[in-house]
This record gives sequence, C-alpha cells and structure tokens, in this order.
Amino acid sequence: MDEILDGLTQIDCDILVIGGGTAGPMAALKAKKKNPKANVVLLDKANVKRSGAISMGMDGLNNSVIPGYATPEQYTKEITIANDGICDQAAVLRYAEECYGIIRELDDFGIRFQKDQNGEYDVKKVHHIGTYVLPMPNGDTVKKALYRQLRKARINIINRYMATRLLTGEGRVAGAICVNTRTAEFLVVRAKAVIMGLGAAGRLGLPTSGYLYGTYENASNSGEGYAMAYHAGAGLANLECYQINPLIKDYNGPACAYVAGPMGGYTANAKGERFIECDYWSGQMMQEFYDELQGGKGPVYLKLNHLAEETVAEIERVLHIVERPTRGHFHAGRGTDYRKQMIEMHISEIGFCSGHSASGVFVDEHARTTIPGLYAAGDMANVPHNYMLGAFTNGAFAGMDAADFIADVDFADFDMGTVDAERTRVMAPTKRDDGIPPNQIEYKTRRLVNDYLQPPKVTAKMELAQKRFEEVREDMEQGMYVRDSHELMRALEASTILDCADMAAAASLYRTESRWGLYHNRVEYERDDENWFCHTILTKGEDGKPAHRKQDVKPYVVEIAEDEKDAYYKQRVEPSVAAE
Amino acid sequence: MPLAQTATSVPVTVNDDLCIADKGCTVCVDVCPLDVLRIAEAADGSKTAYMKYDECWYCMPCEADCPTGAVTVNLPYLLK
Amino acid sequence: MSALFEEFDDIADLAEGLDDPSAGARIMAVIDLADSADPAAIPYLARAIADPDAGVRKQAAQALTDFDGPETAAALVQALSDTDMAVIEAAAISLTELKLPEAGDAILPHLGDQDEIRLTALLAGIKELRRPEAMEPAIAALSHSAPAVRMQAVGVIGWLQDETSLDALQQAATDPDTQVRRTAVAALGFSKSDAARTALMAALKDPEWMVREAGAETLAKSGDASSIPALRAVLDDDFWQVRLKSVRSLGKLGATEAALQIAPMMDIPVPNLRKECAAVLGELAVKETLPFLEKYADDTDPDVRKNVRWAMDRIAA
Repeated sequence: MDEILDGLTQIDCDILVIGGGTAGPMAALKAKKKNPKANVVLLDKANVKRSGAISMGMDGLNNSVIPGYATPEQYTKEITIANDGICDQAAVLRYAEECYGIIRELDDFGIRFQKDQNGEYDVKKVHHIGTYVLPMPNGDTVKKALYRQLRKARINIINRYMATRLLTGEGRVAGAICVNTRTAEFLVVRAKAVIMGLGAAGRLGLPTSGYLYGTYENASNSGEGYAMAYHAGAGLANLECYQINPLIKDYNGPACAYVAGPMGGYTANAKGERFIECDYWSGQMMQEFYDELQGGKGPVYLKLNHLAEETVAEIERVLHIVERPTRGHFHAGRGTDYRKQMIEMHISEIGFCSGHSASGVFVDEHARTTIPGLYAAGDMANVPHNYMLGAFTNGAFAGMDAADFIADVDFADFDMGTVDAERTRVMAPTKRDDGIPPNQIEYKTRRLVNDYLQPPKVTAKMELAQKRFEEVREDMEQGMYVRDSHELMRALEASTILDCADMAAAASLYRTESRWGLYHNRVEYERDDENWFCHTILTKGEDGKPAHRKQDVKPYVVEIAEDEKDAYYKQRVEPSVAAE
Repeated sequence: MPLAQTATSVPVTVNDDLCIADKGCTVCVDVCPLDVLRIAEAADGSKTAYMKYDECWYCMPCEADCPTGAVTVNLPYLLK
Repeated sequence: MSALFEEFDDIADLAEGLDDPSAGARIMAVIDLADSADPAAIPYLARAIADPDAGVRKQAAQALTDFDGPETAAALVQALSDTDMAVIEAAAISLTELKLPEAGDAILPHLGDQDEIRLTALLAGIKELRRPEAMEPAIAALSHSAPAVRMQAVGVIGWLQDETSLDALQQAATDPDTQVRRTAVAALGFSKSDAARTALMAALKDPEWMVREAGAETLAKSGDASSIPALRAVLDDDFWQVRLKSVRSLGKLGATEAALQIAPMMDIPVPNLRKECAAVLGELAVKETLPFLEKYADDTDPDVRKNVRWAMDRIAA
C-alpha cells in the first residue's frame, strides 16, 4: 500500500456523487429512487462507512421545522435575520417545507429522534422565537444507517478515490478526474451530472493547539469542493462570511450549547454570568463571544455546575457518547468535571462552511450551481445555516433534480488535454528527488491564514497575506515533494487549502463593509446596505485569479417587517463594536 | 534539501494481543476518515494494525468499530 | 488495480467464512454479512449467534442491528440467554433498533420471562414497535422486583397511549423507585382524563424533585385550568427546577391569577428561573406585574433583560 503506481482508468455513469458523508448518500439514494435505471456512482476519498462531518454521529438536529412547533415561514424569517438579510429565501423556504419529510425518512432508516414518554417527538426550545432542536438519542448510528440504505439500493460505491478537478465541456459538466489515495492511479469518470457534497473547508485556519488535524470540522474536509467548483468556473457566494464557532478550548470540539441549553446550561463569562445578547447562532453571536474574550471579562465558559447531579449526568451521556465521543476522555485527562467547575471555551479557527454561516458554492432551491448539470449540497453549498438536516434535505433536492437532468442529455465532450494537464499537475511532487513536504506547505499556509485573515479584518494585513500566499504557491508548484501516495493526497489537500486561502482573502477584500458580525468584521468599514445589500460572487477570472461581481438578493418570499429586522438590537444595553 | 526524522507521539494505540489483522481484519484501516492506519507485518509473519501517520482527528471509528476492542484512541499530546 | 467498486458478493459465499476454524476469520465473515445489508444474511447471522466463540457471538448480535423483522428479533432474543455479558449487551442494544411491528412476534411470547436483564431488554425492544398485545405483560411487569424492568414496562405502556392503562400508570406514579415514578408521570401526558390529572397533582407532592418537576411540566399538556391551584402551590418548592416548570406550565395554561405570585420570583438569584418568570409574565400580560419587571429592564443578564423588555412590551400592547 501507498506506493506510487502509474495507471489511468475511465468509467462512465449517469450521475457521479462526490462525497459520501451526509448530503452525498442522500443525493445518491434519491436519484436512484427517482430513476432506478440510472447508474449512480458515489465516490469518497475516505470510506463511505465513516466519512464526513458526522463520521461518529450527531447528537441532534438544531434546525428541524416540525409542524406544531415552528412554521416554514417563521424559520425562513429567522434565518434571513440571522444572516443580516443576505439570503435567497427560496432555498431556505423549500428546505423548511420539506425537512420534516426527510426527518420521517431518516426515522425509517433507523435513525432515532428523541421522543417523549408517549412516543411523540420531543422538540426542545432553544431559540427565542421558534423551536427547532430535536435530540438524537442514537445519533451514533447515523452513518451505519445511511450505509445500510446505500447497500440496499445497490449504489455503486468507490472508496479512497479523491476527486481533484471537474471536467466540463459544451457549457456543462462532463465528469471528474480522480486519484487513488493509496496507489496514485487515476480514474476519469464521465458523467451526465455531478453532485458535489464535499463538506466544509475545515483545514483553513490553524487551531490554537497548532495540531494540523485538531480542527473543529472533520479534518478530512479540506475544501476540495470549493477548489473544484472554482477551477471549473462555478460561482461561489459570500466567501467572506467565514465560519467561526464556539468550542471547548484545545479539544476544539463543539460545546453543544443546544444540547445543554434546554437542560439549563449556558455560556458564561469569568464571573459565571450570561453575556450573549444575540438570539441566533450567527456572526453577531460570535462577535459578542470575541468581545468578551478580548475585553477582559473572559475566559468564556460552558457553565453546567449550577445544575443538579442528575441533569449533568444526562447531559454527559449525550455529549460524551455521540458526535465527538473523545470529549469524555479529554475532560478526564484534564481532571475537569462539569459538576465542579465551568469548562473553558474558545472560538474556532476560521473555515468555510454553510452549516453555520452563509458562504459556499452558489446554488438555487434545486441545489443547482451556476454550471448546468453540476450540483452542490451540504456544508459546501451556500444555503445558509443548513447544518446536518440541511445537508440531507438539499442533498435530496440535488439527487431528484439530477435524475431529471440526465434524462435529456448525453455525455458532454471534453478536452482530453485537460486530463493530461491534471495528471502532470497532480504527479509533479512525485517526480522530484527532494523538496518541501506537504505538511510544511500546509502549516505555513494555515499559519498565514491565522496571522492575516482572521477577523477583525484589516486591509493591509489581507494584502500582505495575498503576497505571502503567492510565495507559498510558488514553493508548492516548484518544490513540493512526496514519497508515497498518502503524502500525495496531503499534497493535493495542501493545494486545495491554498486555493481556499486565496479565495478567503480576495472575497474579504472585495466586500468593503462590515457584515455578519465577527465573520466579516472589516475594522475600516461600517455596514453599508446601500452598496452591499447583495451577494458577492467569486469566480475564476481570465487571468486565473479570483474575479468578483455583485448579485442581487432575490426578492423575499417571506416579508420581514422593519421592526422585526432589528427586533433584538432594541433590547441591548449598549451596542457592541459590530452592531451597526 | 534532505528530510529530517523527527519523532512524534501518536494518539492511536493497538493492543497486539487482541488485534486480528492476521485473520485478514482491516476494519480500523478501512474506516479511518484520514487514512492514517496501516497493517504492519513482523519478521515472523504476524500482522498487527498501527498508526503510520500522525494525522488524527481523534474521531474514534477505529476504536468503536474494532471487533476485538484492540484499538484505543488517545488525544494527541498537543491538545490534551 | 484493486476492485474499483464496493462488491455485492453472494451471501452464501460470504457465509462460508463462518465455518473457518479461526474465530478471527469468523468475525470478519460476520462483518461482511452485515455490510451486505441483504436480508438473505439473517439466517447465517442467526447461526453465528450460537458460535462457540463469544467474540463471534457478540459481533453477530451487533451485526443484526442492520436487519429487522421476526427472524432477526428471534435471533436476538436467543442471544439474551448467552453466558457472556458482552453478547447480551450487544443483543439488548440491537433489539432497541428494531422498527418493523412484526418483529414483535418474536418478542411477545417471551414477555413472561422473569429474568431481570432479559425482560428489561425485551420490553425496551417491544416499546417502539407499539404492539397492543404488549400491554398486558407490561402491566404485569410493573410488579417485578427490579426497577429497570418496571421502568421499561412504563415505557411500553406510555407509548401505547391507551386510556385503559391509566390505573397501571397511576400505580406506577407511586412506585418506590424515583426514575420509574418520573417516567410514569411523564407518560400520563397523553391523557386528558381526571384520573391522569389527579395522579399528576399528587406527583407535585412527591418527595423527589425530579418527579415533582415532571409533574409540573406534564400538567400543562392537558390544557385543563383546574390544575392551576396545584401548580401555584409548588411555586415555592425547594428546587428551582420544579418552580421553573411550574411557572412555564402556568404560562401555558394562561393562569393570569398566578401572575402576582410569579412576579416577586424575579428577585430570586437563579438566572434560569428569572428568565422563565419574565417570559411567562409576558405571556400572562397582567398590568400589575409591571413594577416587578421594570426593576430588571436593565438587568446584566441578557436573557433576563430581553425577556423582561419583551414582557413589558406585551403588557403595554
């Protein structure tokens, strides 16, 4: 294993799904269900059994729109407000209308959602207005249940192949170029439609521990979806709206306030007092978190030590078994106990992820990107705040729409020269006798991301970042060296990470206003609705560098009254830095 | 530009007495999202899983899915 | 190049590995059979439940999680009688993953089993299958000596949502075990009957706070205003958790007569309780509570402050 072999295979399929985490499996299942004759291939650089953000499971849904607890209109309104108005509501509304059907389907798959003692859904209230949290008591079995469905539906699964570039021709998608992560052999997949579900760009910033893989997101989610969409010419929206999350410091896993919240736990400052004003998980909330950390009132803590022993035990059962089970080991190692003390929290490194923000490959309510036949869903697509249930639901939309799309088209022609050029690019680090290993290229890129791109954003710093990224790119293209195919996978990831860093800098410089709280806090600019109430769309320009344009926010389908827009600003004691 | 041999402690450990890689088991190697585990073959031909690359997200499928309980995931030293 | 696609092997071929002399190889065969997700694998896995090696049996019990129906359930029920605790535990978990009601056919005949561990697992397995035939044995299990059994029995009864079970649930609400009582009290939530309400009001006087908390929370479900006086009586409970649920329920029931009793509770230095009081005072919107709220319009706790201001707006409107 791991030796570098020379090989190229070509296969054809109707629909290629790249990414076997959350959105991908659902897309594959739905496409196959809608068109049982379609040849659907699901490809992953890891193993579909345990790949993606929910590799170990998920402890609950935090955006379930369940009849009787919330309405699709109410949800759409809240997501619009949480995203400072920049949101094409059609996709959010469609999600909200159809996610309950997906919940019931997942239930049929064997994924359990918390029910009360009469067997009814036990929805918990966290948000100020609507009620969306639904715990998943056997959330550790999610991937197993999905895999079972894929096998039953006889989906063709390809594991351990990493897609590196999309193929296009005739103005639409034509397939993808992939490389085996254990042999470096190439695979060209011709497809009539391609669905991308490649997750977040989770290895963009460097975690405070300095450990490259100690990231908030699953470290295998290194942003290939963003890079591939970019190089294929698709539009990416609002990349300046970074993802930054509250987390358990050093462990770097989610604090899961939405698990502890309904049971009485909360985020507190050093005095043990609540300080978060914002009602929504948003950049505004992260700004408040940041202000508290920086303003002398920190550290910030997860506070559970005011709760009864029985309650803490219940919270622990959920937090330490599901999603990130090593969290229990972490606290044991530190000698920290929720009962005795508050647990130190921090904010995550930056990343791209629409699960908790609003950036990503631009898609409409059918999960269509700007390239015909190319779809994106889940953390990499720009439907805001879609979390795990959004990945499932939008993945379903992509699968169903792709099944229709392939009915009328044949394979698009593409230039074989693209394949040759890509093989040369990919294999370059294997052709050298020595040089810089991928981990050093990656470390340097990500260290620069922390130094220069992390908010608060400063123009001069971001320009410096661009200069330094160019130097790293030169080193990478001319001097990166790998010894085996595993390192080659890391080299390809390093290249993706650098692409994402370039996009993060360019997008952040383009939007000359502050918006989304900490996510795009440009210290030199105030919020500017007149010029910037719009999406920013980043594409690959003629010169091979990021190009930008503005795109109107589509007219709202759910009206937001003036007094609702700032419903919560009125309730503040004093505005914080970014509350403008 | 020669490469250095820098030592690093790895978070995943395997109990050789329990590991059944000899019988063709590759469960932990298969499920790792970061693909950091491999099977080592000793001089006497016996096989056991081990962590080859220090690139761990401490996510735990290797430990959870191991049929004999041979795998333990510790936290990487840098963040523990 | 190795096989590109994951394979769909013939089940009988995969099952040959179950005859391998090495236990490790048999474990691998079990894993492959599970991954097939093909129901044709069930009989082979059922056979592996009787393997001489405990590791193989445990893996088989785990593997059956991927399947459903009476044959799967029967194999898991068999595994509950294993001599190895790890096998029993795996089977117990797999039983709770069953979804098809007909899987209950294999469980129902065993519900008379008096063994604590087996009966607990069998009841937990039948609960979500919602088989009406389980009612009678579940009610009988309420007199089992083990609290774990009684707890699962209450679960089965609660999920069936059958008014004829009210006597049994009412009985369980006075069980010697706290968790059983708490579960039984929550299970009474489906019924709007006087009997259920009487039992819930009695639960408010339970010696354990968690039971009182469950009672206070569940009383709002029927929407019946006659429970208001009982809820008001626990507003001075020793545990803030109980007071909080009582406040919440009084809000849901629109108990305006309790507003002036809730308002002074704003002074109690428990952030969670104060926040709930402010929210409920807003829901009740009784003008006389305004002075109590005004005191905290600039509270340092954002959740308290926001709810106070919201409540003041509601009262003004």
